[in-house]
Amino acid sequence: MPGVMPGADMMTPKVAPMPAPSELLKPQEIAPGQPVGGDSFATMLGHMVSDINSQQNFATQSVNALQSGQKVPLHQAVIAMEEANVSFQLMVEVRNRLLEGYQQIMQMQI
Amino acid sequence: MIQILSGIQNTTAALAAEQTRLDVISENIANANTSRGVDGKPYQRQTVLFEAALQQAMNPDGSISTPTLQARIEKDSRPPVQIYDPGNPGADAKGMVSMPDINIHEEMADLISASRTFEANLAVVKNSRAMALQTLAIGKH
Repeated sequence: MPGVMPGADMMTPKVAPMPAPSELLKPQEIAPGQPVGGDSFATMLGHMVSDINSQQNFATQSVNALQSGQKVPLHQAVIAMEEANVSFQLMVEVRNRLLEGYQQIMQMQI
Repeated sequence: MIQILSGIQNTTAALAAEQTRLDVISENIANANTSRGVDGKPYQRQTVLFEAALQQAMNPDGSISTPTLQARIEKDSRPPVQIYDPGNPGADAKGMVSMPDINIHEEMADLISASRTFEANLAVVKNSRAMALQTLAIGKH
């Protein structure tokens, strides 16, 4: 290929192309008035909250085990706490966005 | 379960493996002059073998987890060294005492390597956390 540095194709990293987001998650075609199939958003949110709760419990258990002298590595307890912390922030973020959307709808001028 | 910090399982396994390595090094250094162990022989130096092990449990969706790092403790095969010390209660008829073949400098170099690898894995955790938090901040003003 003219104008291309020799060995340039060797320099380009061999990374598989990312699939377009539309291929990863296809929005369902839903006719107006039709009920949405699958889990409702509330169920999904409930699952997420209970998941995060169990993560928090796991972190608490790890710290308790560590402090009561069981053979739990220090890093495992700290990483469990950190994971619980970040997923809690994710949950708070979802709640914030939800409330924001609700308030925007409520303030709509009719 | 949500996997909020990416790649954290591999990093946790690596941290545990490095911890094992650190424990073994501490044992080696502590027993550098142990001429009579519990079995009556001089202490035998230990080394750590890192190997990838498939987790026995399969994931709920039927897929098999990626191999995680595991540390296996093995005895070093080098024979004990003979040191002339006729006053030692453990000396044989010729006044020679068997001592473990442990070089403190070698152990210290291993210690530094273990410590730095641990640090590198902690840096992975830190970055993974920072990436998750930065992603959560998308759209904030």
